[in-house]
Amino acid sequence: MYKKNSWFTIFGVLVLIGLLSSGCSTGTATPTTEQPGTAPTEAAPTEVTAPTTVPEKSQITVVIAEDPPTFNGAINQSGFDTLVMELAMLGLADLDEEGNAYPELAAELPTVENGGVVIDEENGTMDVTWKMRQDIKWEDGTPVTANDLVFTYEAVVDEETGYWIPGIDYVDGVEKIDDYTAVVHYNVIYPGYLTQFGGYLMVIWPAHYCDAEQGFSSWDCGLQPLSNGPYVLKEWVQNDHLTFERNPNYHEAGKPTIDEIVVKIIPDGAVRKQMLINGDADLDMWTSENIVAELKDVPNVEVSLSPVDRWVMRIFFNLAAKGTTDPVATPHPINSDLRVRQAIQMAIDTKTIAETFWFGYAKQVWTEFFRPPYNLCDVPQPIYDPEAAKALLEEAGWIDQDGDGVRECHGCTTGAEDGYKMEMEFITYSEYGETLDLTQEYIAEKLGEIGIKLTISRVEGTVLWESSENGGIEQSGNFDFDIWDDGYSGSDPTDFLWGYYASAAAEPDYGINYGRYLNPEIDDLIDQAYTLDEDLRKDLFCQMATILNRDLPELLLFTTVDANAHSSRLQGVQSNANEIVTWNVSDWTLK
Amino acid sequence: MGHYVVRRLLQAIPLMFIISIFLYGLVNLAPGGPLAGRGSSKRLNPEQIAILKRQFGLDKPVCVRYVYWLIGNDWTKPVEEIPKPSVGVFAPIIQCLDPRSYLLSESPGVGKGVLRGDFGNSYRTRKPVLDIIKTSFKNSAYLMSITLVVVAIIAIPVGVISAVKQYSIFDIIVTTLSFIGQAIPEFWLGLILILIFYVWLKNPLTGDSLLPPGGMYTQGMAFSLIDWTKHLILPVTMGVVGWVTWYSRFLRSSMLDVIHQDYVRTARAKGLTLNKVYFKHALRNALLPLVTIFALDLPYIFAGSLYVEILFSWPGMGRLYYQAAVDRDYPMLMAILTLITLIVILSNLLADIVYARLDPRIHYD
Amino acid sequence: MIDIQPQLPREVTMRQLIWRRFRRHPGAIMGSIVLSCIILACTFAFLSPYDPYKSNLSERYHPPSLEHPMGTDALGRDLMTRVLYGGRVSLAVGFSVMVITLVIGIPVGAIAGYFGGRIDNILMRITDAALALPSLLVLILLGAILREVDAPWLKSNPVLTIAFVIGILAWMFTARLVRASYLTIREMDFVSATRAMGGSNLRIIALHIFPNAIGPVIVEATLEIAYAILEESGLSYLGFGIQPPTPSWGNLLSNAQEYLIKYPWLAIFPGIMIFLSVISINYIGDGLRDAFDPHKVLIKMGEV
Repeated sequence: MYKKNSWFTIFGVLVLIGLLSSGCSTGTATPTTEQPGTAPTEAAPTEVTAPTTVPEKSQITVVIAEDPPTFNGAINQSGFDTLVMELAMLGLADLDEEGNAYPELAAELPTVENGGVVIDEENGTMDVTWKMRQDIKWEDGTPVTANDLVFTYEAVVDEETGYWIPGIDYVDGVEKIDDYTAVVHYNVIYPGYLTQFGGYLMVIWPAHYCDAEQGFSSWDCGLQPLSNGPYVLKEWVQNDHLTFERNPNYHEAGKPTIDEIVVKIIPDGAVRKQMLINGDADLDMWTSENIVAELKDVPNVEVSLSPVDRWVMRIFFNLAAKGTTDPVATPHPINSDLRVRQAIQMAIDTKTIAETFWFGYAKQVWTEFFRPPYNLCDVPQPIYDPEAAKALLEEAGWIDQDGDGVRECHGCTTGAEDGYKMEMEFITYSEYGETLDLTQEYIAEKLGEIGIKLTISRVEGTVLWESSENGGIEQSGNFDFDIWDDGYSGSDPTDFLWGYYASAAAEPDYGINYGRYLNPEIDDLIDQAYTLDEDLRKDLFCQMATILNRDLPELLLFTTVDANAHSSRLQGVQSNANEIVTWNVSDWTLK
Repeated sequence: MGHYVVRRLLQAIPLMFIISIFLYGLVNLAPGGPLAGRGSSKRLNPEQIAILKRQFGLDKPVCVRYVYWLIGNDWTKPVEEIPKPSVGVFAPIIQCLDPRSYLLSESPGVGKGVLRGDFGNSYRTRKPVLDIIKTSFKNSAYLMSITLVVVAIIAIPVGVISAVKQYSIFDIIVTTLSFIGQAIPEFWLGLILILIFYVWLKNPLTGDSLLPPGGMYTQGMAFSLIDWTKHLILPVTMGVVGWVTWYSRFLRSSMLDVIHQDYVRTARAKGLTLNKVYFKHALRNALLPLVTIFALDLPYIFAGSLYVEILFSWPGMGRLYYQAAVDRDYPMLMAILTLITLIVILSNLLADIVYARLDPRIHYD
Repeated sequence: MIDIQPQLPREVTMRQLIWRRFRRHPGAIMGSIVLSCIILACTFAFLSPYDPYKSNLSERYHPPSLEHPMGTDALGRDLMTRVLYGGRVSLAVGFSVMVITLVIGIPVGAIAGYFGGRIDNILMRITDAALALPSLLVLILLGAILREVDAPWLKSNPVLTIAFVIGILAWMFTARLVRASYLTIREMDFVSATRAMGGSNLRIIALHIFPNAIGPVIVEATLEIAYAILEESGLSYLGFGIQPPTPSWGNLLSNAQEYLIKYPWLAIFPGIMIFLSVISINYIGDGLRDAFDPHKVLIKMGEV
C-alpha cells in the first residue's frame, strides 16, 4: 500500500531538510576576511614537513561574553570592539595603566614645551601638530601616513555617515602638512587633545582601503580590518570566535611574541571562569569581583588589577520631583533638602559594603578628584553614623509619628505636604551582576533602619539611559534615587564634569546632569578648566571638590575593580582602567 | 486538497500582515531602545543620539517606520528639511495620515523593504540582517536536527514498548523517568551537565575535561568527527531530556489508543502474531499523530533553544535573538520574529497536509 | 408475607466515579500529598523565625545546618525561609496563569466551537496568530514592556504582571481543547433537545455543554500550572521575570548559578522545590486524565 512508507519518507525528508540546511556549517569561516594580499612570503617554517623539531605555534585563548559588533570601537562602545581593535590597529596615542598618554603612531607626543601645541590665548584656540612615525606600514605594505589621519577625520565628521567622538566639536579641521605631519585645529583650548585620535575609542583608518562612501559608521573595513597593529585577523566566525595571527611586519622588532590569539565568545560567566581554572582559557575580560575573589586561590590563575581606578559607584539624587526635570519649579519632596542627602550619606556603611560584597576590592572614595594628578584636595572622609543620620532627619522635619518605621514630613522644608511619607524607588541596572544587586539590597535595608523606605527596581541599562523621548528613565527624570557606576577615562575629567554637573547639561538629552543640579559657581569653574595650565586646573578642581562636597548632588561611594583574570603562563597582562586589556598585547609573553 | 492548500496559503498572507504589525509594535514599544549606551559607556552623548537616530531611521514616527520596513524607502525624496508637524495629542495620528511624512526624508533611503527581500541592516554591525541570520540559522538547525533525531530514536521504541507492555516494570520505570524529566528546569539541567562533565569528570587518558564546555568545535583543529561529536553531546542531552519524555509519553498514549481499538482485537483473533499486529498495523497508525506533532515542532529547529545556546555558547538563532533583544536591535528582532512566525504558519499547514495524506479518513474540502 | 426488598446497587454519580478512579492512581495520590505539603509549607512561611529580606552579614553562605536547614544565602538570609516565600510567588504565578488561560481560553473555545462558521473562523485565526508567535522570544519583550508601564497597580503586583504575560501566550491550547469538545458535544441529542425546549444559547453553552466538556480542560489546566512554574523560573533566570529582592524559585536559581560548586545548596534547594512541585502537578494531571477517561473504566472491567 502506498501509504505504508509515506510516513517514513516524510519523516526522513523533514530531518533531511534540517540536516542539509546545516550541512555547510562545517568550519567554513563565513564572513571571511579577504586578506588583501598579505605578505605572500609566508615561508613560515611550520610548513616544512621535516619530522624534526618544528617550532610549535604559541597560542592563547581569550574568552569574552559577546561577539564584537565591529572593529570600530567608537560607534558601539561595547568594549568588546575595542578589545579586538587594539589587537589589529593603532591610534596616534594611547593610554597606559596609569592613565598617561604614550605615542603609538605618533613619533612623539605634542606638548606646549616641544612646540607641538601652539595656543592662541587671545582667541582661545589652539593648534596641535602631530608628527607621525615613518616606519609603520599597513599589512598590505602601504605606509601609514598623514593621509590616513586626514581621511579618518573626514570620515568621522561626515554629515551622513560619520559619528560623534569626544572632542570632535572642538576641531575645526585637520590639515596635512606633509606625508607624516598634520595639524589639528581646535577652536577651544581642549585638554583632552592627546587622545583625540587614539585612546580606547579611536584608531587611524586606512585611506586606501576603507570605503568613504560607506562611511565611518558602517564601512566594511570595520568587519574586515586592514591591520597595522601587532596582530592580523585571520578568521572570524560570527558569534563563535575570532582568530588572530601575529603581524610579521609589526614595527616593534621581536614583538609580539605570541603567534596566535583565539578570541572565543562564551556568554556564561561561570563557564568562562571554569575554562580559566581548567586551563582552556588564558584571559577573561572584565572579570567581576566575586569571580576574582574565587580565582585568588586557584594556583594556575592570576588576576591583573588596574592600578588606577576609574569606575566609581555612586548614588544619584533627583533634585527635581520624580517625573519632572525642573528642580526649581518642582523640587523633589525628599531629596531637595541637603540635610536629607547628608543623612543618607551618614547611613551608608561603605566600609562594610566594600569588604563584604566586593571582597575588599572596592576602595572608598568621596570626591571626583581621587585620581592623580588631581587627588590633592582636602575633602573630609564621610563618617558612618546612623544615629547622627536619624537625628539629622528629625531636625529636617522628617518624623515617624505613626510608628510604622517610615518617616513622614512634619515640618520638612522641601515643600512636601504634611504627612508625606519618606518612600522612594531605588533603581539600578540589571546587567552589572550580583555584587551590585546585593549592595543595593543592603543599602536599602540600612536606609530602612533610619526610616526611609526604598522599593527596589532593577531595569535594563537601555531603559535607564535612553533618551527622554524614548522614555529613558534618567533623562526624563523619572526616578528618585539611583545607584550605578561611572568614571572618566584618561586623566582629564573636564568633559566628564561638564556632563554631570554643568547647569546646561541638565536639559534633557543635552547632557547627563540627571540629578538636575544647578549651580552657577560650578559652571564657572568648569568653564575655566578648559585650559592647559595645570596649576590653575588643580586649583579649580579643588574649589569644585569643596563645593560638591558641600552640596552633595551625588554620593560617591567606592570604586569598583577593573580586573582581568588570566592563566599563570600568560605574562605581561596589565589591566588598565582607561583602556581595554589588550592595550599592551605586544608586550605579552608565555612562560 | 490542492484547493485547500491554496486557500490556506492565501489565508496566511493577511495573517502574516497582522502579525507583523503586532510584532513591529511590540518591538518598538519595548521601553529603552538602541540609543542608549552599553558596555563601558553607559550613555550616549546627545550628538551621538542625534546621529544614530538619523542613521537608524528612528527620527520618523512608528507608522512611517513600519511602512518603510515593509516596502523600503529608496523611493523617498530627500529634502533639506521636513515641515515640522504640529504638536499636541493628535500630532502622531496626523503625522501618520499625512503622506508627506512618508514621501519626504532628510537623508536618502537605501532600504528596499521586506516585501522585496530586504530586512534592513542590524543596528549592531550595520550589515544586512539576513546575512547574519543565515549562519546562526544553520547552526541552530544543525543542533536541533540532531537533537530531534536522537529524540525520535529513543522515544519511538520506548513509547511503543511502554504501551505494548503496559504496567510492566519497564513501563513503570520509563513513566517515572518521563515525569522526572519533564519536571526538571532545562537550564538547571544544563548547569548540572556542565558541572559533571566539564568540571568534575576528567578524561582518564589525557587528564583534560571529559567534554568541552561549549562551542561547536575546537578552533584550529582540522575537521574531526570525534571533535564535533564531543561538542554535541552535552547540548543535545540538555535538549533531548525535555522532548524525549514528552514524545515517548505521547506515543505511548497514542499507541494505547490504537491497541485498544476493535480492529487490533480482530487481528489478534485472526491469529496474527503479536509482533506483526503491533508493528505492522498498530504502530503505523499510532505514529500518525506523532508526525503531526513533529511537524508542529519543526519551528523549534529553526528558532533554536535559547537556554541551550546561552549555556553552551552555541552560535545559533536563540542567542542571536537574545543579544538583539538586549541591544534593542530592531531590524534583527523583526527579522527573526517574522521568519519564525512564517515557519510556524507553514509548518502548521505542512502538519495538516501530512496528516491528511496519511490518514485516509480525513478530507479537507 | 415476607417483604423482600431487592438490594439495588447504590447509585454512583459521575463525580463519585471520577473521584474513585483518581484515588486508584498511586502517582496522583503521592502528587497530591506532596503538593499539599508544599502549599501548606509556603502558606505558613510566616511562622519562620527568620525575615526573608533582612540581611545578616555575619552569616553569609552558611551550609545547611540545624539552625538553617537549607543554609544561608549571599546576604546571610535563611534560604529555607526565602525558598518558602519564593514558593508563594512561583505557585501564585502558576495558579494565576491557569486562571488567566481558563478565563480567556474557555470563552474563546466555547464560542468558537458552539457557533461555528464565521465566528469560529475569526476566533481560530486569532488563536492561530497567537500560536504562531514564538513564545519565549515574545515573552522577553512583553516582560520588559509591562515592567515599565507606569500603572501603580501593575508595578506593585509583579506576580500578576508575570502571570499575565505568560498567560496571554498560553490560553490558546485551552481554547483549542474547549473548541474541540464543543464541536463534538453540540451535535449531541440532548443539546438539540434543550434548544427545542427553548433554552437560550448562553444557557446551553454555560450550563449544559460545559460540565461535559470540562474533563480534558481540567487536566489541561492542571498541567498549565506546571508549565507556568517552569516558564516563570526560566524567565526569572534570564532576568526578565520576578525581580529580587522578592524571592521566586526562578530568581533564586539565577543568583545561585555561579556558585554551583562552592555553595551548591543555593541552587539545589530551589531546584528541588521546582522539581517536586512540577512532578506532583504532572502526576495529579495524569491521575485526572485517567479518572476522566472512559476507556480506562472498560479496561479495569477486564476487557482488553
